[in-house]
This record gives sequence, structure tokens and C-alpha cells, in this order.
Amino acid sequence: MEVIATTGRALRLAGVALFVTVPLIAGPPPEPPPFYAIEGVRVEVGDGTVLERATVVIENGTITAVAEDAAIPAHAWVIDGEGLTVFPGLIDAMGSLPQPRRPPGGPGGGAPAPGGQRRRPDTDRALPRGPEDRPLTTPWKRAADDLTLDADAVEAWRKAGVTSIAAKPGDGLFPGRLSLVRLGVPGRDPEHQVIAPELAQVASLSSGGGFGSYPGALMGRVAYFRQLLLDAAHYAAATAAYEADPSGWRRPDFDRTLAPLAAVASGEERILLPGSSAVEINRALRLGEELDLDFAVYGGQEAYRLAAELADAGVAVLVDLDWPEPLPERDRDPDADRPLREILHERLAPTTPVELAEAGVQFALSSGGGNGPDDFLAGVRRAIEGGLEPARALRALTRDAAAIHGLDDRVGTVAAGMAADLVLADGYPWQESARIEAVFIDGVRYAVSDGQDAEDQGDDGGSEETAAESTSGAEAAEEAEEPEEPRRRGGGPRGPGGPRGGSSEAPEPMRLADVAERYAELAGDAPVPMTGPYREDDVLAITGATILTMAGETIENGTVVVRDGRIARVASGVRPPRGAHVIDARGRYLMPGIFDAHSHISTAGGVNEGSLAVTAMARIEDVVDPTDVAIYRALAGGVTTVNILHGSANPIGGQNQVLKLRWGQDADGLRFDGAPPGIKFALGENPKRSRSFGPGPRRYPATRMGVLDVIREAFTEAAEYRDAWARHRAAEAAGERSRPPARDLQHEALVEILAGERLVHAHSYRADEILQLLRLAEELGFRIATLQHVLEGYRVADEIAAHGAGASTFSDWWAYKVEAYEAIPHNAALMADRGVLVSVNSDDAEEMRHLNHEAAKAVKWGGLSDDAALALVTINPARQFGIEDRIGSIEVGKDADLVIYDRHPLSSYAVVQTTLVDGKVYFDRELDRLRREQLAALEQSLTEPADEDGGEEP
Amino acid sequence: MTGVRGGIAAAWTLALALAVPAAPAAAQTLAIEGGTVHPVSGPSYTGTVVVRDGVIEAAGPDVAAPRGVEVIDARGLHVYPGLFNAWTVLGLVEIDSVPATLDQAELGDTPHLLAVEGVHPATEIIPVTRETGITHALAAPSGGPWAGQASVILLDGWTVEEMEVEKSVGVVLEWPSLATREFDFSTFSVREKKFSEAKRDYDRTVGEIGDWIEAARQYDHARSNAGSAVAVEQDHALEAVATVARGELPLLVVADRARAIRDAVAFAEEHGLRLVVASGRDAAKEADLLAEKKVPVILNSVQALPVEEDDPYDGPFSAPGELHRAGVPIAFGTFDASSARVLPYEAATAVAFGLAPEAALRALTLGAAEILGLDDRLGSIDAGKWANLIVTDGDPLEVRTGVRHVIVRGRDVDLANRHSRSYELYRGRPAPP
Repeated sequence: MEVIATTGRALRLAGVALFVTVPLIAGPPPEPPPFYAIEGVRVEVGDGTVLERATVVIENGTITAVAEDAAIPAHAWVIDGEGLTVFPGLIDAMGSLPQPRRPPGGPGGGAPAPGGQRRRPDTDRALPRGPEDRPLTTPWKRAADDLTLDADAVEAWRKAGVTSIAAKPGDGLFPGRLSLVRLGVPGRDPEHQVIAPELAQVASLSSGGGFGSYPGALMGRVAYFRQLLLDAAHYAAATAAYEADPSGWRRPDFDRTLAPLAAVASGEERILLPGSSAVEINRALRLGEELDLDFAVYGGQEAYRLAAELADAGVAVLVDLDWPEPLPERDRDPDADRPLREILHERLAPTTPVELAEAGVQFALSSGGGNGPDDFLAGVRRAIEGGLEPARALRALTRDAAAIHGLDDRVGTVAAGMAADLVLADGYPWQESARIEAVFIDGVRYAVSDGQDAEDQGDDGGSEETAAESTSGAEAAEEAEEPEEPRRRGGGPRGPGGPRGGSSEAPEPMRLADVAERYAELAGDAPVPMTGPYREDDVLAITGATILTMAGETIENGTVVVRDGRIARVASGVRPPRGAHVIDARGRYLMPGIFDAHSHISTAGGVNEGSLAVTAMARIEDVVDPTDVAIYRALAGGVTTVNILHGSANPIGGQNQVLKLRWGQDADGLRFDGAPPGIKFALGENPKRSRSFGPGPRRYPATRMGVLDVIREAFTEAAEYRDAWARHRAAEAAGERSRPPARDLQHEALVEILAGERLVHAHSYRADEILQLLRLAEELGFRIATLQHVLEGYRVADEIAAHGAGASTFSDWWAYKVEAYEAIPHNAALMADRGVLVSVNSDDAEEMRHLNHEAAKAVKWGGLSDDAALALVTINPARQFGIEDRIGSIEVGKDADLVIYDRHPLSSYAVVQTTLVDGKVYFDRELDRLRREQLAALEQSLTEPADEDGGEEP
Repeated sequence: MTGVRGGIAAAWTLALALAVPAAPAAAQTLAIEGGTVHPVSGPSYTGTVVVRDGVIEAAGPDVAAPRGVEVIDARGLHVYPGLFNAWTVLGLVEIDSVPATLDQAELGDTPHLLAVEGVHPATEIIPVTRETGITHALAAPSGGPWAGQASVILLDGWTVEEMEVEKSVGVVLEWPSLATREFDFSTFSVREKKFSEAKRDYDRTVGEIGDWIEAARQYDHARSNAGSAVAVEQDHALEAVATVARGELPLLVVADRARAIRDAVAFAEEHGLRLVVASGRDAAKEADLLAEKKVPVILNSVQALPVEEDDPYDGPFSAPGELHRAGVPIAFGTFDASSARVLPYEAATAVAFGLAPEAALRALTLGAAEILGLDDRLGSIDAGKWANLIVTDGDPLEVRTGVRHVIVRGRDVDLANRHSRSYELYRGRPAPP
């Protein structure tokens, strides 16, 4: 070692003169003896405690003593700590290793994966066609498998006081395991820098492999996540059963994808789930709990809304410090009307850490992998601006980061026995005024003489005076080619002077309570809640209305009494009970809330998992977006219940979800509990053409024949799956040795259909395809619950009625495609006349706002009575879904989902005045007007130049 | 009679079994007697309207039906001017998803193209559209920016010649949008563009539109002053733009966002053009400007979603009322073909959200005719105007109202259409064995 080092030094000296033209073949310089004592120094331990004056002794990479009277070993190099503080080195709790940019496809373009053969090499761009292709799934990978680092970037991180990064192994749905890697000098002993190669698996639900590939939509990715963990659990069980008694069984094939995920599936290994927005965090919580995982959430920027829930769940959060910011002035469209929620989020996001701290949620801070050290520190400062105590920030960046990754027994605090990853500075490393004197990594000292500005480093190579300054020859050559490689994004508000000077355009953070307070101030006497409900009463009475009960009668001067969300009384001329909140509806019309049987609002990440012909495992429930403003707009149109369907890209699509429009609640709160589960089928043009264009692969089917074949085949397989389980259970019951089949969520949904437990909602147009589907369902032994669109239903109305399917159609849309050219606006009425249970739906966020007017078209075209027409959007769809005991008419005992109009709802002039769900007012025209003004005032106060805020700069 | 058009229909229609189009009627002499007449140009009255040779011969409370003419007994009924769908693609689009049936959008800048030259008189959509009381419509080309010229057609006629009201009522210009997000079809993904970059592209396109106007002026000048030795080649496109530059035809600018509307107004002022804004989703945000500059707006579907997340839920519903109250002349269009029939119900939504009922009716009739310079022929029940009339059993803006007669250029048109025939046919289907 010493010999090589000496040679290296000589070469290095020579290299100084020749560094541009001669690739260095510099060996590492000699290291000084690894014994230090920092004397008379202040110590922030990292767990919140502070030693005002101590001596920190470091020997062979380990802290051997931290005490005021610690004995200084004679061989230790003594550093005067006067005026300085020792901090634990900062840990980026989830980032990327700073690696040199590689030419695509060139040597080193992808480290060869260890282990077994894949069906495809990593570089194969062939698009995955199903879960069996394991798209973007490489759980065997570890960030520590590829330690080729960019020396300059590593140095920049080090100078920022960051001593290790919990690094992701790349991107993908299951990219692999995080590794905790030190930011010592790369190129020499790279493995030595690895503190722990396998911290936790990472999952992502962001975009898949490309257009047309599987999984293409968020709900498909969630379904894939679920299925993959089931597969892993089954793999582990099958392998274990075989190992226990291999006799007579074929050995389960080794599967390098499933093997590492088995521990995740069993809850033995931590997995990090994505969740930046509140909706995503909620999704992660539900998924983690459903599958009983050991999990933490990363992203977390809107966790300020969910601090209490996270605390209850005991889930840790890795908060991404890349805070949202408005575009710089010059890149902004002066005409653009930015949504208030975006403006608010920019203020609120940096308060996430303090909210989590106060709620008792364990959290750490991360760069998210996209940002450099300057942005990382700027992000910490912004969190502190948001209210986080600096000492708490330090804990999050050190001890808690280590604890979340299960390594707080070796890193993250300044204490005897811990690894010597330390920062010696005269202030917190992120402080603009702080001067970092030295960074110790694994006991190696890196002096940082000009630690304030990595920008200057370019022409000041001697800034780090440690002998450990070097890179391998190959890297040096790469750097020589790219001497000006920017280490972080340039320009913008974070240009020179920006990163440490704070971002001039970033608005002052505000906490949720501050926003609520300001809103209340601005709202004055009559604040209207920002989201629903507008009011809640235990007892409520609507009086004086013409009640269109949809239960066979119309009641003049009627009163409806609501108790605890249910209809308690419906009668004419009665007085409201004492203490009831009274809505005076004299001269107005009261109707059951509208049930839109076909909608795609309130879904995140796409309504079609159209990559496969059958995606029965995809669930709308997984992707409900309760923040979609379409919910509120629908309430303003009298809609209280919606059936959210998967799209029509494939013969068998995903599972639908019936929602009640309880605006303001989270995804769980919107779910209509008690509504039967269902699924989407689709016939005709959409499923057969959906993959015949665009850059993705084509896929079967391309004809109506093929569509039917896909459905028949899917059920054939599902029946076999059902039977296989039945055989297994029977064998087990008989005490025989039997291996359980692998669970398959796609088959399970179809088995439920065969068992009559899941309703089929079939998108259909032409009479022939409608008839063929009815016959196929009869052949397979189930009933179609609703035919959706069913535009030519009028031609086979008798057959539909005989089968017992409901029909849910448009009022008058036609001619937008060939299969809609035979549509007639009399469809609803004609089918109803023939005994079909008919509803009228919207399939559209606009159309749904006036379904009462759409129903009126069945009076005009086809001559339905007024009541029969209104039934199309109230009681009839309720019956189609088997929830007519809950909604659809105004009767005692039903949910108080009600809508008040100023005129008869079939009048083209009728305007919704008030909408109630479960007896709570979620929309009211007058309150809406007030709320608009109040929100506008809030927005103005947030966007006008900040005088009363006291300016943006501290 | 059916054979005349049946042959043409057979060439393209996909449902031959039902291709029994309504035969255009012959011009009649008729009297509509005893109904409540809503002339729009004045107060309503109970009276009689006499129609001869396609024109209203007389109308009033004291007018009597001439002896021997065909009489429509309108007692208990209402008589209105026929409704004007002031922006459609009727006759230019049959089935949206079938390119072979689409004739509304040409390639490139084509200000000289006339919509009427592409209108298919046998479209199944026209008879369906008439059923709700619409008797005439503007058919507009799209594309461009210079899309072509909009025509106004009657919703009845054996040939397009018989349907023509006016070959050109203006040159359609699709105002460029300043888009910072673009959909890239090659990758099927949204591409973000910097504002400055988007603005540069936008300014360039607007500049080019201005160049067209100046080129047309120069062309005009050269053509009218060319000596016998100088040949200035004829250019149909420039000639078309010159009609706008000279102020003979309005520039019909399709624009939605407030910026586009503002810029179009400034552009028209700078170049001294007559301007009509079409579509105008954000027009209410620029109501004062439009009123001050006397720029009318042909509004796109009222039943539309707000443009921005924070816009009031009823913004598009209340916009017509806001524009009207600000003094902006308005008309209604549906900007499509297959839904053209819902025009009156879209207008009803505007009434429900604040537009005065009489203003809505006017916008659907005389107001639209005025904006397009056709009020000498259309829009009210006055002697001398074309006899485009409807007889209803109530307010034509109410869905449940029945339209009993639709009279186009004096012809009492058959109300049967593709839909009603299909309905009758299948209503009569015997129960399956």
C-alpha cells in the first residue's frame, strides 16, 4: 500500500503539469494515520442533545469517545475545536448516487446484471405485454452494485456536509434496493464506501414503459404491484414447501424477480412506497395496510394534510426537499390563471416537516434523486422557514434518517461507538453563514477550506487539502473531456448566489392553520368552508317543496325531515321538528339526487388500462382522486352518486367504483359502501381499434369476433382457476398433500362474476353485439347487469328485457362514429316501453351537470311521462345497481341525497339551488357565490406583493 | 322523389335500409292562423302570418288568410321565426370518426374556399336538426389559420343552390393559440414549452396573418391600377382576403381565450377590419372591450365546462347574459353537426343563468341575422322577410315543447327524419317468438 501510494504521489505531481493532455494514472495518495481528537468542541449529537464542550476522539473510522474529559490518545492528531461544532454527517435519506453521465449505449452503459438469465436483456426495448413480463421490475438490483461515481459531484455533496446517500438503484416500478453509500473519495476501494447495501426495496407507481405497454395506467400499476407481491408470497411458500419435502414434486423454478420480493410480501423487509400528494400518500397507506407491509412513504410533500393519519399509522416519511415553486416571472404566462390549490401548495409544502414533527411522525429529508447538494441545503432552509426547528432538522437529516433505514446503531449520531461520519463547522451546514471546516467520512478527514461555495471550485483544485484527493485514471480522463460539466442546474432563481441566498421568488411558507385563519379573517361574518360540506345538521327539514318522490307520488307543500343523514319523514304540510335546521323550499322542487351510472371523473392516472385485452385486476378504487373539481361541478348539477367506470379500450376492463359525491372527503370517504362491486366490459369499435394506431404494439382483438373470443376465453380460464382452487381445498380438507395454486387477481374478479357477486357493465353500441354478449353471458352462466351506451338497444329491447339486463344510455348523442350512426334519441323511451330497466347517463364531466335536462329528452322523443323520465336518472339506475333501498327516491329510511330546483327539474330553465348528500349540504347556489368571493380574496392575499407578510426575506 | 336523392345517399350512407330521406317540400302559399305570433322585431300578438312564394306576405293581428290557401290552424300554438344555428359544420361532417365523411378542414391557408361548395345536401343530420325548430344555419370551414368562408344555408332543399342563403358571410380565421403545452403525436405525450418560446411562435403567426392583409391590399391596389401592359396574376386567396381588407366581409375569428380575443380585437382595429368573434369561451372576461369596440360574438355551446379549475362552475352558463348586459351582440352556435339540434336548449341554459328570455330568443333569430348581415331576409316575422317559421306548442327553448311545423322558405317541411323513421320501424317490431 505505502509503495503504491508513493508512486502515486509522484505520478500525481507529474500530472499537475500534464493533466490536460495526459490521462492520469494516479494511484491514491497516502492517507495520514486515522487518529484524531477534536478538542474543546461543541457537539450536536443528532438525537437532539448538545454537549457544549467536549473532546471527540476518532480512531480507525470509529468514534471512540465523546466527552468533556475524554482522554486524548497520544498518537491522535489534535484539532482545536474552539468555536466549532461537531455534527453527525448529513444523510440524504433517498437520493441517487452522483454518477458520471455515460454515453448511451457505450461501454458501461449498463452494468451487467448479476444472477440468472432474463428472458430479455436489460437493453431490450420490447414493450412488456403483461405482468408475466415483469415490466421495469429489477428487485435484485442494489444501488451498491454500481459504484462508479463522479468525483466532482461527490466532492460537492461532501462540501455541503452530506456524508452518505441512501441511494436508489435507478428507476422503474420495482427498481431494487436502496443502499447507504458514503461520499468518500470514489475510485479507491469503492466497496469500502458502502455502509449497507440493502436498506429497503423501492416501489414506484409513476409512468410505465411507454405508450401501449403494460402497465399503462396508474390503476394498472397498482394492480401489478398487488399481483407481484402475491406472486412473491406464493413463490416463497411453494419453494418452502418443496424444500420441506421435495419428494414427488417438481422443483419450483428459481425466479430472481420474486425471490427478493418474498421478504417484502411477508412484511419482513421494508418497502418504500411513493406518496407525494395527499391522494398518493393515502393510496400508499391503504396499499401498505391492505397487504400488511412494513413500509415507509417517500415524497411526502403534501403530508402536511395527513400528519395525524401518518402518526396513527406509525408510518415514517422520507420528505422530498425539492419544494414546489412558481415558474420564474419570465417563464410565466401573464394570462395564466394559476389554480388556487397550486398557489396554496407552494406555501404549504415546506411546512410538511414541522407538521410531521409536531404530530410525532418519524421523518427524514431527501433530495429525491434529482437535485444537487445546493438545492438540497436550500430545501432544508426552506423547511426551516416553514417552521421546522433547526435542531429538529438536524435530527431528521442524521439520526432519524439512520433510524428509518435501521442503521442508527452505527451512523447518524456523534457518540462513542458510532462510525466517524462527521461535520466540523461553525454553524449548521445548511446555514448560509456557516463555514464547514472539515468533513470526516469513515474517519477520513476532508478539509473544506472554502466550503461556502462549490461554484468556485472549478479553478481552485486545491480547495480540499486532504491527501485523499484523487480519482481513478479512467474517471480523470472522462472529466478531462467534460471539464465544465455543470453540477447542478444553472440559471433561474437558483443561479450564482441563488442557492445559498434563498430563492427570491419562493413565497413565504404558511401552515394550514395560518391559511385557515387568513381565510376566516377574509371571509368575515359568514365564512363558507373551502371544501364541503357547507353545513351539517343532526336534524334538518326541507319545507314547502313540491316533492317529486320517485316513489309513485308527487307531494305538494311537502316536508322532508332528515335525521343523521337518513330520510326520517316525508309528508305534506307538517311542521319541522323543533331544533331542526330548516331549508325553506316554498315554490321549489325537491327530487332525489341524481345517480350518474357512467362517469370517469375523479380518477387519477388514466381511465384505461388498455394495454391488455383483459385487465380485470385493475381497480378504479385504487385511483379515486377526491380533489377533482368535477365532483363539485357535478354536485352543482344535482348529482349525488356516480358510477366510475374503467374505459372501453379492452373487452374486459377494470373494476368500477360507485362513489357518493362527499366533496372534501378522501378517497375512502367517497366510496359508496354497500354498492355492489362491478366491472367494465367493452364491445365494438373501441376495444378492437384501441391498439390499431399510435406507436404502441397492436394487440388482439381487432374484430367483433375476436372481442367475443377474448371474453369467452377469459371466463374459460377463470373457471379452470376456480376449479383448481376447489380441488386444492378439497384435497386439503381430505388431509392430502396439495400445493395451493397461485392467486391471480384477474381470474378472481372473473370468478366473482361467475358467482354472481360482481356486476358486469358492458359498453356496447350495435344491436348484434349486444345480442351476442347476452347470449355469451347466458352460455357462461351469468347475467349482464347493465348495457352501457347501448345505442341500438331499441332494436333488441325485447331480448334485453328477457335477459334481465339494465340499459344505461345517452339522451341524444349520435353520429360521432359509425356504431353511433344508428342511435336515436327515442332509445331510452322505446326500451322502457318494452320493459327494459333504463337509465340515462353522461359519460362526460359536462353532460353530467344537467342530466335532468337530458332526461327531459325522453319525454320529447318517445313520450315518456315526466316521472318516468326523471326515474331515468334517479330510481332506475339505483335499481340497476341494486341499491334502490338506499338511494333513488324520497322515502323514509333512505339516504338523504336530495336536490332542490327552482323549477320542475325537467324544465330547461331549472337550476339546482341546493344539493345534499347524506343530509349534509354539499352545494348551495348562494353559498357558492359567497365562497367564490372568499376564495378570490384569499387568492389575492396570497399573490399580491407581500407587504403585510413582512417581506419574503428574513 | 326519394329516388333522386336515394342514389346519392346510397353512395355513402351506411344504413341503406333506412335511407328514406324526407323529401324537400315545394314552396307553398299558406296561412298560419290564430297562433300567438312572436315576431321578435316587436311585441307578440295573436294573429295570422301569410306566406307566399317563400316570403312573408303579411303578418299581424288583423291579417286574414287569403281565400283558398292552405291554412295551418295555430290556435293555442305559437309562431316564431325559425331558429338560426349561427355556427355549425352541417353538411360538411357526417360521422366524426370517419375521415371519408369529413369536408370541413382543408390543408393550409385557404381563405377563398366556400363552405357551401362542400355542403352535402342529403346529409342525414339536417332533417334531424330541423326537428327542434332550426331552419337555417351557418356552415363553417375550419383549419388554416385562414380556413375559408362561412356560408349560410337553409335546412331544406333538393340541391345546395336551393339551400343557399348566402354563399359567404365572412372569412373564417382560426386565431392561433399561445400554447405552452403541446401534444406530440409522435410520442403520444404532452410536451412543455417555455412561455417565451410559445409567445415567439404565437407572435410570428399573428404577424403572418397581418402580412396576408397587407398583401391583399397591395394585390387589390395592383390589380385595380394595372396598366394594360402589366399583368397581375389572379390570386383567389388574396382576393378573398381583400374582401375582408376592404370591409366588405367581416373577419370571423375563431378565438376562445381572453388573450386571443383581445389580440384579435386589436388586430382588427389596427387593420381596419370588421370583426366577429366566434366560439369565445372567455368572451365574458373581455365583455367591456367587445362592447366598446362593438364586436359581436357567436357563442359556442353554452353547456360547457369552465376553462380553468377555479372558474365559477356556471361561468359558461352565465357568460351569454354577462355579454348581453355589457352590450355585446350575441348569437348561439353549436360548432358541430350531430348536436346542432340542441341549440335552443343550450340557449335555455343561458336564460336559466341570467340571460333575459327575450334576449335569448333574439340571439337565436334576428340577432344572429344582424351579426351576419342577413336581417334583410331572416330573423323576424315581418312582411317581406323569408318565410322561415316554426309553429310550436310552447316555448321552443323548453325540451318538452313540441315543434309542430317547420317552414323553410315558405315550405312546410316534413319533420320525419332518420331518427323518427327508425323509431317507428322498431316500435313496430313484433315481439320475438
